[in-house]
Amino acid sequence: MREITLSQAVNEAIAEEMRRDASVFIIGEDVAEAGTPFKVLSGLVEEFGTDRVIDTPIAEPGFMGIAVGAAMTGSRPIVDLMFGDFIFLIMDQLCNQAAKTHYMSGGKLNVPLVLRTNLGATRRSAAQHSQSLHALVAHIPGLKVAMPSSALEAKGLMKTAIRDNNPVVIFEDKLMYQDKAEVPEGEFLIPFGVANVKRQGTDITLIGTSSMVQVCEKAAEILAAEGISAEVIDPRTIVPLDEETLLASARKTSRVIVVDEGHQSYGITGEIASRINEKAFYYLDAPVLRMGAMDVPIPFSPALEDITVPTPETVAANARKLCSGEMIHAA
Amino acid sequence: MYRQMVRIRSFEDNANQLYLSAKMPGLTHMYSGEEAVAVGICEALRKTDKITSTHRGHGHCVAKGADFKNMFCELLGKEEGYCRGKGGSMHIADQSNGNLGANAIVGGSMGIATGSALRAKLLGSDDVTVCFFGDGATAQGLLYEVMNMAALWKLPIIYACENNGYSEYTKTEEIAAGSITARAEAFGIEAVTVDGQDVLAVNDLTQKLVERCRKGEGPFFVELMTYRYHGHHVGDINREYYRSKDEEKLWKTERDPITRFGDWLTTEGLASAEDLAAMSAEIKADAAAAVEYALAAKYPDISEVDMHVFAA
Amino acid sequence: MPHDIIMPALGMAQDTGVLVRWIKQPGEAVAEGDALFEVETDKATMEVEAQSAGYLTQVTAQAGDNVPVGQVIAQISESASDTAAPTSMQPASASETPPEGHEIIMPALGMAQDTGLLVSWQKAPGDAVAADDVLFEVETDKSTVEVAAGFDGFVAALLAEAGDNVPVGEVVAVISAEKPTAASRSARSKPPSAAKAPAAPAPEPVASKPSPAPAITQKAKPATMSGRILASPKLRRLAAAQGLDLDILRRAGVPEPYHAKDLTQLIQLSSRATTSAATIAAARRITAQVPSEGFSAFAAWAHESAGISDSVALLAGLLAGSLRQDDSDIIVAVENYGATTHYHNPDRPRLGQAKALAADGTPSIILRDMRISHISSVTMGAEEAPVITILPADTGLGLILECSAAQLSASGALDCLQKFAARLAEPLNHIL
Repeated sequence: MREITLSQAVNEAIAEEMRRDASVFIIGEDVAEAGTPFKVLSGLVEEFGTDRVIDTPIAEPGFMGIAVGAAMTGSRPIVDLMFGDFIFLIMDQLCNQAAKTHYMSGGKLNVPLVLRTNLGATRRSAAQHSQSLHALVAHIPGLKVAMPSSALEAKGLMKTAIRDNNPVVIFEDKLMYQDKAEVPEGEFLIPFGVANVKRQGTDITLIGTSSMVQVCEKAAEILAAEGISAEVIDPRTIVPLDEETLLASARKTSRVIVVDEGHQSYGITGEIASRINEKAFYYLDAPVLRMGAMDVPIPFSPALEDITVPTPETVAANARKLCSGEMIHAA
Repeated sequence: MYRQMVRIRSFEDNANQLYLSAKMPGLTHMYSGEEAVAVGICEALRKTDKITSTHRGHGHCVAKGADFKNMFCELLGKEEGYCRGKGGSMHIADQSNGNLGANAIVGGSMGIATGSALRAKLLGSDDVTVCFFGDGATAQGLLYEVMNMAALWKLPIIYACENNGYSEYTKTEEIAAGSITARAEAFGIEAVTVDGQDVLAVNDLTQKLVERCRKGEGPFFVELMTYRYHGHHVGDINREYYRSKDEEKLWKTERDPITRFGDWLTTEGLASAEDLAAMSAEIKADAAAAVEYALAAKYPDISEVDMHVFAA
Repeated sequence: MPHDIIMPALGMAQDTGVLVRWIKQPGEAVAEGDALFEVETDKATMEVEAQSAGYLTQVTAQAGDNVPVGQVIAQISESASDTAAPTSMQPASASETPPEGHEIIMPALGMAQDTGLLVSWQKAPGDAVAADDVLFEVETDKSTVEVAAGFDGFVAALLAEAGDNVPVGEVVAVISAEKPTAASRSARSKPPSAAKAPAAPAPEPVASKPSPAPAITQKAKPATMSGRILASPKLRRLAAAQGLDLDILRRAGVPEPYHAKDLTQLIQLSSRATTSAATIAAARRITAQVPSEGFSAFAAWAHESAGISDSVALLAGLLAGSLRQDDSDIIVAVENYGATTHYHNPDRPRLGQAKALAADGTPSIILRDMRISHISSVTMGAEEAPVITILPADTGLGLILECSAAQLSASGALDCLQKFAARLAEPLNHIL
């Protein structure tokens, strides 16, 4: 099977959907000629024109609000938010308007938009360009949240998102744009709410999101050499969340670590760990562990930045402790 | 147009009573006094043209063709409301008549209105969008972001600023520096000020601007000078500390839009005083009946609480 | 006279007022309508006027105090000095420190509860209290609970009122060793703190930690978890499914916490335990003979002279006396024709007075009365308690004591049986 980069996968997905449905358009900063600073959208304005690949001034609340209005009245906008950190600027339009319109109108108005943005640290971009803020939007009823972990998911989830009649926020890991993966040719969609068991195991379950899936896979390799069999699961979408797959794995292995790049406290890991605690309690032989980014603004210095996020070594270390029955009081 | 203005006034009187007699959950914001603005503008629009509304949205809703029964039901949270009781006064929307909804966030619907205009342009439709907002909302940054883009992309939108002299409990001159129309002109948007209590003037102006919008000459900005008779919301009863009773009295007696238009109609011989009185009585009865209907109507079933979070 | 001055109600949602300043001073003459003090409300400062004429006395709130609406803060009296002068009072208002003594706090009552509704006081200021006396009643989520005083002494001060919702841990009363000269009761305004020097001289409070939560008649949440065995939910489930006791692991010295992998060991240890328990079971069997039986005559004599009609109680009492080493409770279970009755401490205070009760709980010793039977001997093994079977013998009675090694030591068993036999032989010699 051919291999393409995550960047190419996103580009393909969007182009295919724009060909398929004339109401799909892109709006954001530097999306047209520039194809975004990450060059993910290069070539699209040449094919679809400036009417459908719209460059905006640096006015995030403005173009987010415009996208909401366009979506409410018949278009299917893809909003490009250059850095996930800027999500704070658009929270009213995203969470007060887009998320709630279908409900507040008693089901009469839809907001079929996609907000395409990114997350991920270790790029030396410092605190305001390195955050992983998916927990904030996952918390708001009415928003769906997708987290592609490779080029394969990037393509399949993006197409599903564009066809979904609800506001969907997709977070891509900005450090993965050049990472390749096998992606089938032809029409290919990944449904929301279906987790992917990437590696089978029996001793411990490692649940990872976005690039943390790769971290968990590497940890699993380390552990395998020591005789510990780790199962690695990628939920793919946080909202809706495929609980059943996660719970079945927890029941099987009786030990779980949830790994995510959002901050340790009050985040995705807490939610998933809680659900496993509630629904698989009597199968647990160890506390469910959360591993997120440290509760600090991401520092600039490489020496400091690299220790703020989970790594295969730290994941493996915790896995060892859980498997040996060592009591862990907060990672 | 007279009928519509009286309908709005009647609706608001009833809504106010519902609040005062503790029959209405939550709060609402009265449009009484501003009828000529909503009616003058909406009468110049087609059903397929869009409007976005504000927290003070009953007037826009009625003016754009909404039904009394469904509106009262929505205010009381009943199932037959426009939003199945899930939006309430501040989020009332009548999608079939092009009303994209009232908004509880000040300035919250400016983006939506501009987006609707963008969509019209992209999908080759000639419908126009009118964005209602108050003088207070000119303090919101979103207004300038969207006017900028509307001007850049020549969108078919009319920004209608209902300047009633007050931003909640503070006089407009204390919250808006400089000129309101100059703000739009800074973006190269043609801006006009009009007497918001003169329904004919409002309607005439709107018709012209709508025509030009359909031809791609938009956007436009209109500042309508008007006055709200009630407080900011229905519970804002003791308001002498920010607004004198004399001032209120002046607007009510000498500048009431309904009286003014009624006088004009009778003077021009287009209707008799008796006709107008009969129409008012009929509307009052209609409204009263709608209130009774809504009070007796049923609430949505509790199973609806988690419906419509997501669309299928 | 005198008229109480209270903190007035000031507004819809206000239930305390800050006393900004006194306009009149204690002892000053006051005319009706004079401004007495200033109060700060939500909106503005307002003056409170006197409703009668007289002299300002008994001032118990100071400038800066946050006083609950309705609380008495002063009086207007006929004369400038009044009975029960403020200096000798131990006022428990917010401005002064509480009286010396043990602080009684609102106890913790349940997992999620952080306030308790004080339903009623069962003692008044000045009352004598014993540690076990009920001091007040508290309503919890589930029921009304009585809170005991916890200390002997006198109620020096009550610092909350019936109907108050008091945060757990807050002091609600003070019990002093000596009877106070003027005990007080007041509404809660804020927890007593020595924040400022009191206007009237008051003794410094004892620098003691608040008393531990007094005994309450319902179980509060457990203080520590030290008794718990730490084990994973999975192991607990698996052990419970097989009826295994995790305590076995602990007694075997296996380090906690326990996990599913410890199940195998648990199973092994459990099967060993049952077998060893079985081997310990029939550990001791001692027989005795009482050649001439003096008990029946004794019982008859007791009935005639002392009106003691329950001879079985007498018998149980003799046995209890034989078993007794100290003051702990002894329950003698007498089995007779299939029926079991319990006697609690039948040797005290006087022999033969104990009442026969229904069987309740594990007895200290079981007496199987087979005097009227054809049974000649028994070998039953140890039971839940030591058993003495009384059998008919050729002359007199036979006694057989059976117990496990854990229940009675060798010397204890011998001693008990010998004493009982001796008492049965010559009862009078042993009770007099």
